[in-house]
Amino acid sequence: MSEYEPSPGDSPYMNPYLAGVGLGLVLLAAFVLMGRGLGASGAFSSTVAWLMSVFAPAHAQASEYYQGYLSDGTHPLKAWLVFEVLGVMAGALFSGLLAGRVRLSVEKGPRVSNGPRLAAAFTGGMLMAIGAHLARGCTSGQALSGGALLNAGSWAFMLMVFVGGYATAYFMRWQWR
Amino acid sequence: MNAPLYKYGMFGDEMSLLIAFVIGIGFGFFLERAGFGSARKLVSQFYLDDMAVFKVMFSAIVTAMLGVTYLGWMGVLDVDLVYLVPTYLGPQILGGLLLGVGFVVGGYCPGTSVAALSTGRVDGMAYALGIFAGTIVYGESYTAIKDFVNAGARGALTLPEAFNLPWGVVVFAVVLVAVGGFYGATLIERRVGGAK
Amino acid sequence: MLELLTTRNNPMIDPSLHVWGWEIPVYLFLGGWVAGAMVLSGWLMHRDPGTERPSVTRLLPWVGLVLISLGMVALFLDLEHKLYVWRMYATFQPTSPMSWGGWILIGVYPVLLLAGIAGLPPALADAWAPLGTLARRLRQSDARRALVLANITFGVGLGIYTGILLSSLGARPLWASGVLGPLFLVSGLSTGAAFAHMIARDPDEQSALLRSDNLFLLTELALIALFLIGLATSGVAQAQAASLLLGGPYTAAFWVLVVGLGIVLPLAIQSLMATRRIGHTLVAPMLVMGGGLALRFVVVAAGQASFWP
Repeated sequence: MSEYEPSPGDSPYMNPYLAGVGLGLVLLAAFVLMGRGLGASGAFSSTVAWLMSVFAPAHAQASEYYQGYLSDGTHPLKAWLVFEVLGVMAGALFSGLLAGRVRLSVEKGPRVSNGPRLAAAFTGGMLMAIGAHLARGCTSGQALSGGALLNAGSWAFMLMVFVGGYATAYFMRWQWR
Repeated sequence: MNAPLYKYGMFGDEMSLLIAFVIGIGFGFFLERAGFGSARKLVSQFYLDDMAVFKVMFSAIVTAMLGVTYLGWMGVLDVDLVYLVPTYLGPQILGGLLLGVGFVVGGYCPGTSVAALSTGRVDGMAYALGIFAGTIVYGESYTAIKDFVNAGARGALTLPEAFNLPWGVVVFAVVLVAVGGFYGATLIERRVGGAK
Repeated sequence: MLELLTTRNNPMIDPSLHVWGWEIPVYLFLGGWVAGAMVLSGWLMHRDPGTERPSVTRLLPWVGLVLISLGMVALFLDLEHKLYVWRMYATFQPTSPMSWGGWILIGVYPVLLLAGIAGLPPALADAWAPLGTLARRLRQSDARRALVLANITFGVGLGIYTGILLSSLGARPLWASGVLGPLFLVSGLSTGAAFAHMIARDPDEQSALLRSDNLFLLTELALIALFLIGLATSGVAQAQAASLLLGGPYTAAFWVLVVGLGIVLPLAIQSLMATRRIGHTLVAPMLVMGGGLALRFVVVAAGQASFWP
């Protein structure tokens, strides 16, 4: 397991504006076909609710939070976002393979070893999950989808993501720079 | 044509899951193409030497926003039927802050972590495990924080409604902000990246 | 006491909907995998008579033995009357696929074992003199030909049997299709080929297995189309059964997990691999194997939800 270093055969990343327009068209397709935007964190919530219902059914039954994902009678994994995230995995894998970017590796700066980096990644995921629940969506569901629909809450949210990120960046230099 | 097609009953729930998969493929493909399966590329946004996150996000927002606006004006898309996440100002401001912190600490957001783990990034996998853990923490403390979570409910609220401006004016303003932002971002990239 | 109010829709006449859990799909998957492994190792033995090269044919029979045993455990767990399993072998019913299957499974063991011994490295085989003699004897051309033939025959038989087992149960219209046998055979072949090219070391052998896997996946797509078209155009019950996968409750699982992630995506990746546009990756064969497992789960579950009106 090594740090990812681009090798000569790797394709460079796509022009950001072009990738953005592509992403925007995918998002527009979701609006037109489904009447909803993209998302990601909801798929994790469905999975957690399903795992709870399998391994701690009584607990899942009693919790108001998990019931939000379990009470509609269908299998909790039969959710729109779960299938969308399966697609994200497939699409990202295909794109990564095409560009020669698929390999087991850890993304990090030069001054940090794998252990602390993985611990920080785990912590970041936890913070993000709690934040996404409070905000009712993550960068995809709120900032991207809501942003395009001029949703007031989404724009407030997006602004705060950048504020939070820039405020923390200095203290995380050890990880990235 | 009446869109959103799903809301007009053009296809059922099972078909919508297939569409979810296909849309997800496009989403994941462009995320990875843009380099968003790489935490170092993503966090560079916050160290100002590579503003791809801002550029990709705002090109996507502008594209989809213009699409929704024109399709709405043409009478193809019924914009009122597109789901708007209700606005809860307090929780969304705090949630946004937490997300921003989590972004720099963890290196990803949920969507990009899926792109990362699919291309073999072990830190993306650790991040996804963190999301599971955080979801459980939230789920277990839900009853305690429920009042705060549901505070400041404003319902579905758009910027044009909030500022009492016509839709087209806000769209135009967002495009201006985006184009200005792209220009500014490139200037900053040059200055910070060049000084390295 | 259960009072029979109607003649249908009670568990004593129409068996309850989901009597088969994970055991049967897993058993069918492992059986298909072993079938694929046998056919492919027979083919490779025939294609490449030299045993000195690093070849997956040395390993595949042993893997097959482990897998078929795991499959038998899964099947045994599913049995209601575990103590009476021996009775299956006290008789042979020429018209019953179950009976055929039972005997095929019995035949698979010695074939796999002999093929495994034939591929043992000499240093290992000679540790025990009779074993070394047997291994040398099995490598002679007549015995080799017999092993090739036995591997392919029993492999094809096992593969078809895993599909026919379902279609012989007339109670379920989704399974009442002659395409199910070939479909499960080809799916088993693609699973076997995927696993084989995943573990293959020799580049030439790996490339041959990879190309054959792509061919199997293409064939599987065609058979799935035939399967659905055949059902949809048969009778009311079959059409209803097909609609379980064409808009009904198993549609998303079938098209996303089986077709999308299990066939189309790995086929796309492996086509790029076959033309050397991208390097070899483990992800694609793992997706193929996942798709094979998903196919069994979906067909078994959806089949049990289909019924004659």
